[in-house]
Parts: sequence; C-alpha cells; structure tokens
Amino acid sequence: MSRSALITGITGQDGGYLAEHLLSQGYEVHGLIRGQNNPRAAIVRQLVPEVHLIEGDLHDQSSLIGVLEATHPDEVYNLGAISFVALSFKQAINTGEITGLGVTRMLDSIRLVNPAIRFYQASSSEMFGKVRETPQTELTPFHPRSPYGVAKVYGHHITVNYRESYGMFAVSGILFNHESPRRGHEFVTRKITDGVARIKLGLESELRLGNLDAQRDWGFAGDYVRAMHLMLQQDEPDDFVVATGQTHSVRDLLELAFGHVGLRWEDHVVVDDRYLRPADVATLVGDAAKARRVLGWGPTVSFTELVAMMVEADLRAVSSSRAATAASAAAP
Amino acid sequence: MPATRRRALVTGVTGQDGPYLSELLLGEGYDVFGMVMPGEVVPAEVPPAVHLLEGRLTDGASLQAALTAARPAEVYNLAAATSVADSFEDAVNVADVTGVGVLRLLEAVRHVDPSIRLLQASSAEIFGGAPTSLQDESTPLCPVSPYGVAKAFAHQTVQLYRRSHRIYAATTILYNHESPRRGPGFVTRKVSIAAARIARGMERELRLGNLDVERDWGYAPDYVRAMHRALQQKGPDDYVVATGETHTLRELLDIAFAAVGLDWRQHVVSDPALLRPTEPVRLCGDASRARSRLGWAPTRGFADVIREMVAADLDRLNQGGLAPASPDPAAPRQRAPG
Repeated sequence: MSRSALITGITGQDGGYLAEHLLSQGYEVHGLIRGQNNPRAAIVRQLVPEVHLIEGDLHDQSSLIGVLEATHPDEVYNLGAISFVALSFKQAINTGEITGLGVTRMLDSIRLVNPAIRFYQASSSEMFGKVRETPQTELTPFHPRSPYGVAKVYGHHITVNYRESYGMFAVSGILFNHESPRRGHEFVTRKITDGVARIKLGLESELRLGNLDAQRDWGFAGDYVRAMHLMLQQDEPDDFVVATGQTHSVRDLLELAFGHVGLRWEDHVVVDDRYLRPADVATLVGDAAKARRVLGWGPTVSFTELVAMMVEADLRAVSSSRAATAASAAAP
Repeated sequence: MPATRRRALVTGVTGQDGPYLSELLLGEGYDVFGMVMPGEVVPAEVPPAVHLLEGRLTDGASLQAALTAARPAEVYNLAAATSVADSFEDAVNVADVTGVGVLRLLEAVRHVDPSIRLLQASSAEIFGGAPTSLQDESTPLCPVSPYGVAKAFAHQTVQLYRRSHRIYAATTILYNHESPRRGPGFVTRKVSIAAARIARGMERELRLGNLDVERDWGYAPDYVRAMHRALQQKGPDDYVVATGETHTLRELLDIAFAAVGLDWRQHVVSDPALLRPTEPVRLCGDASRARSRLGWAPTRGFADVIREMVAADLDRLNQGGLAPASPDPAAPRQRAPG
C-alpha cells in the first residue's frame, strides 16, 4: 500500500512543489483547502491534478480531526499559514490564530486521532529576527520582529513540546527564504522579477520598493521541499535549518534581474517608504550543516540561476497574458 | 479643579495576584476596574471598591469595550489559564487565552488609546528548559509546557508592540509566588492544606509528583509591587521578579509539616500519575534589574511564606472551612458587574 500524506497550505508555493515531489515518490497526496469555493483550488487542480483536495481549516480543530480520520495520512506537512510578514502587522490576531494556534490544533488532532502520524512544521528564519549570531543554526535564540515571526516561534516551540511530551514524531524545519516562479507577487523576489518583465516588455517604467539593503539567504523552493520530506524519513525526529548559507541584498537581486534583460535597475527603481516594515530584521543567513550531514541535503540551484529562472518565467507569463488581452480585444 | 484619580484595569482580578494588586492600587489612590468573565464567581478577596467589568481575552471586541468603559491609564494583564499541568490536556485553549489573548489586548490598546501602559505578567515557565542555572531578562526562551509556550508567545508579542508600535508595554517575569490565597491546585497550597488537615486528623496522606523539583518561591504581595513599579518608569522594559534562591519540594514539606509538629515522610506518597510529561527541573531568577531600577526587594523569605500559609489553613479549619469536597476556603459570592 502506498504511503499517504496530508499537506496544509496546498495552494501556496511550497504546497505545489511538495505535492509534486511526494507524488514522484509514490505517495497518495491530500491537500487541505479552506473556504467555500476557494478560487485557488482550481490552480492546484491544474498544477497537480493527482492531489485529492479535502476541505478543512486550521481555525477549526474538529475539521482537522475529520480530515485526519478521512485521509489516514502517514505524514502531515503543515505549510498553512498567513505567511506574508507585512500582512501580519495588519492582521496580527489572525496571524496568531492561524500561523500560531493552527499548529497546536493540528498537533492535538494528530495526538487524538493517531499519534503515530509523522508531523512536519514549516518554521521560518523570520523567527530569528534581530539575530544574536551569524550564521544562524538550530541553537540560535529567537528574537522575532513581526507578528508572523512571533507566531512561527510559537509553532516551533509547541512542535518541540509535543515531541518531548508525547513522544510524537514531530519536527520543525527552519527554512530560510525560498523562491521560485510560483512565489506570490507580494514577496519581494517575485515583485522584482515580475516588475523586470513588465518594464522590459514596455508595460511599466518603474518599480517601487522598500529597504534595498535588506539581506536574505534566498534558495530555490524546489530544493527546500526535498528537505521537508527527508526530515520525516529519519529514525529520530529532530529540527533542521535549511538554507544556502549565502546572503544577497535586494540590490544584488536587482542587479541580476535587470541585468538578465539588459537593463540598469538604477533607471527604474524608486525607493518608497511605504514599503518599509515597522521593525525590519537584519541579516539572516542560515548554517545548514546539520541538514547536509544528517539528511544528505544540499541546494542544487544557485542564486543567479534562481533569479534567471524567475525572470524568464515572468517574461513568458507577461507576454502570454498580453497576447491573451490583445486577442480578446481583437475579438468581435 | 479636582485632581482626577488614576484609573487601572486589572484582568484576572479573581486570581491570587488580582486581589493583592487591587489592594495596592486602591491604597495608591487609583480607581480600580477588574475584568471578570461573564458569569464568573467573584471571590471575597476581591475588594468591594473594585469596579467589575465583563470581558474575555478570547473576545477582542469585549476587550475594546472594557477599555472604552474603564478609560484606564494602566492595564495589568494577569488573566491566563494558569495551571501548567492542565495545559497539557488543553493546549489550544491555553494558547488562545494566555497567548493570543495578550495580542488581542494589545491591539485593543492600540485602537482605543495607545498611551495606555500595559503590564504583562510573564512567567518563569518561559525559560523551562533553560541551560543556565540562573535566568535573567536576556536568557533565551525555552518553554517546556503548552502553558510556557503560550506565555513565551505573549512575552515576545509584548516586546514586539513595544518596539514596532511604541506602546508602553512592560513585562514582569514572575517566578513562583505564593500566599494563603494561592489556589488549592498549586503545590504549595496543596501541601499547606494537607499539613493542616493531617494535623487535625482529617486526612492521613498526601500524594505528590516529583519531590525533587526546585523552584524559586516568593511572596505574592511582594510581586505585585514590582508589577506596579514596572509601569512607573520612564520607559517600558522586562523585569525578572524572583528571590534568587531555590528550594526543593522536600524542603517545602519539611517546613510545612514541622509547622504542625509532624514528619512529612510518614504522610507523603510520591505518585507517578502526578508527574508531568515534561517539567523544568530548576528555575531560579536573577532579579538584579528589578532591584536596581525598581528599587524592589522581597520582604518575606521562603520559610515564612510557607508557615503563613499553613497557619492560614489551620485558621480556616478552625472556622469550619476547607471541607474535603471543596478545598476552596473563600465562600464565593456573586457580584454583578457594573
């Protein structure tokens, strides 16, 4: 009998990549989907038609118990969250309830339904916030600087707590930023590559951004979901940092993205204070030595390749949507 | 023009600390508002001068309404699901009240009046499995119970609002603090009640979990003074409030049973069923910052606190209290909020 997995956050960037990876490993994959007639369900069905979508909500514990009883997963990957830092300042309570408490609802549901289910919690480098040491490891203390970061710290601690208190196979993957052509447009990498494509194709002339000096450790999402899966295949549950170990500034990203299409970013980028966060985090760079050693994991896509991949994808997407608009305008 | 009295709102006013804090604030000339849950029984210890308001930390709109009605200059958030042991069976609710509740309260402060000063009663349980033998305000958080994890969320949320939204939000990281008003579910009170009842021949044995736990136990009336002072500073900060010395549960038993002329070894049974899934082994706080900046110091030592608790429980027995079925001494009385 094939193994079965349940993914929350199936409509997000990582949900799609993880579903594809698990399907390729022979899993039966279930994806939790919330809301009534969620418009993103159609996107998931198109991207990974083999995924079984099932309705449930991290706000509602009894719905999670029902989903676990219906799908009998061997593994649960909790990727569901309000994951955009800027939004978390505007919807702090909702972020606490979903990104934070949602983890407890799922862990508690697993404890009640079948404590042998293995659980992966998507933790985040945003937990480190105002960093106390560089690079950050599994032992670096957390100083979160956003409601999102605080909620993720909660999710991390409660995952460790369920592991230690109940002996559950519950692990926390501390993932640094990871991007792809499927990244949401609200994130800075995608905002830039989409902006570059629009400017290159003459649809726009400027791109407004916040702090250009922010430094991040950016990897490729397709690489990171492999680490999630590997963490649940170990003999003992443990927590791992997943990162490239290299940092780049938003400025570096601009150089590469605009350079890829033969433009100068200085001619198009406008710094806009509205995009500055109330309390921005400093340099984040992860030390994934433990993941390399124990999981045998390593990134396969470099930062330069990642940016090129994203710009190329956005050039195609913008061109085809322009063509579609032109075609519908020309239609009688 | 008559001077306006300062106004304070206390959540968790029905707990151990709420009445002590209310008494202190009333003594300082405050108008004191106490938030109670709809239908909650208000114990006799809550001073009658406290104005009661309804509200729940799980209901953000009720918090906004309470702030709008009380118009406080200071809010003391003492409300929480406080039992560490019970938190293992009720992790979601504990996080909702003890963790996200603080977020709801801070959002309400931000919307109603961002100049309100807020005191968060943080707990030593946020350090839980701390590798250091003495914890201070910069010790990394390492909670080991759902209660501790929720308190850590609350603590970091307060720090975030201080920095990101410029709210005067302070925390006191309170180590265990006891008194004759401690709830009967807490180990110190469980011991003082049992010592009194065994001394009177009403009971023979006392079942406890891990006798080797070490805690930094102080006196609750001392700790509420630190809370008040933390809101009278130029700016908000975090303060460890602790005695700086630890005692084991065995020492507690020595003192409590000696106070009634008994040897605890003849009465105490260690019951594995009472062990917690995970438990901090030793928590000891370094209150240097509170001592130097708040001028705070404990007034009562460990042995005196325990003896006072046993004496109070003997008095309650003499007055016909502490019936076996309901160990709660305070005859509850209903008071309508308003």
